[in-house]
Amino acid sequence: MNADDWLRAFAAELHQRRVGGDVARHVVAEAATHLREGGGDPWLVFGAPQAYAAAIVESIGTAPGPRPGPVRLHARGITKRYGRQVVLRDASLTVRAGQIAAVVGANGCGKSTFLRICAGLVSPDAGEVTVAGRLSYCPQQGGTADFLLPDEHFVLVGAGQGVPRVPARRAGRAAARQLGWDAGNAALARHLSGGTRQKLNLTMSTLTQPDVLLLDEPYQGFDQGSYVNLWDQLTRLRDEGRAIVVVTHLLNQLDRVDVVLDLPPAHQGGRS
Amino acid sequence: MDSDRRGQWLRGVLDLCVLALLRDGESYGYQLAQSLDAAGVGPIQGGTLYPVLLRLQRTGLVTARWREGDSGPARKYYQLTDDGRAALRHGGNAWLAFVAPVTSIVTKGVDG
Repeated sequence: MNADDWLRAFAAELHQRRVGGDVARHVVAEAATHLREGGGDPWLVFGAPQAYAAAIVESIGTAPGPRPGPVRLHARGITKRYGRQVVLRDASLTVRAGQIAAVVGANGCGKSTFLRICAGLVSPDAGEVTVAGRLSYCPQQGGTADFLLPDEHFVLVGAGQGVPRVPARRAGRAAARQLGWDAGNAALARHLSGGTRQKLNLTMSTLTQPDVLLLDEPYQGFDQGSYVNLWDQLTRLRDEGRAIVVVTHLLNQLDRVDVVLDLPPAHQGGRS
Repeated sequence: MDSDRRGQWLRGVLDLCVLALLRDGESYGYQLAQSLDAAGVGPIQGGTLYPVLLRLQRTGLVTARWREGDSGPARKYYQLTDDGRAALRHGGNAWLAFVAPVTSIVTKGVDG
């Protein structure tokens, strides 16, 4: 592991411990400067990335997130069948303002279906979803228009809310920057990579200032850096008081979420 | 055992040493480590030093700003605040009052 690898591992460890933004950037940059000037093996100079990140957390203390607010999304007893196949059985989830909920489970356990039911796109066979406030849904695929520029997507979203072109474009580019993406110079959506199209999708879903944000595995095709930016962004939105539901098959971010809904595999389906 | 003990002592006074080194002007992490080593305290690893600097910054005893060096990379320079100066005076005197009798006792023991 060379110095760059060590620094990357250290940054990831800070991230896991919810040290984000400028603080993390400065601490990592300072360690990098030190290593550049003094040389030496980072494992001897700073120790294991994990241990050093823990020492940093102890020194600065991580800011506790604001208390969760009122219930924004309440899904109760959701059951869904496709033919004879029971995809969801009696699934429930409550998410408050200022919380991130993760929906996890094996492939085919109904994660995306559950999210689409929460979004109101699919009706459940039983159960009820209550949403308080404005809802935004970011699908796993689609949602972008092939022959439009990212800027034009932002203008379109703005138009739906009565926001004029210029501020809509500005807001879109600013939201894209939070994901480490420069949308102002991007090509038509159909020429964007899958990961970048997802960033466009995700950017649009945050532009409407939703109270409830539903994200279906929003990082398909993301590289590691973008993935880190995504979770930074989600944490920021959460701390602004949004209620976020994110479908994921990646479990390594679960220590950053407040609520976990673990769906059982469809074929077991639970008791009847 | 000896390096363990030295480490323990250091943990107790490293913040005071840093405050004292900053008394006459700003400095950055690597330079502080070199100054401590040159003064005979021994090598201080970054993993020990920077958490102390962060704590001093958080408690308002030092402030920090990033600045391009005359040559080389941007560095984070630390400056003593008025609170830091007061903490240095107060903590420094307490330390001196503590080590004087310890030194006297140990000296007798070692010489005897």
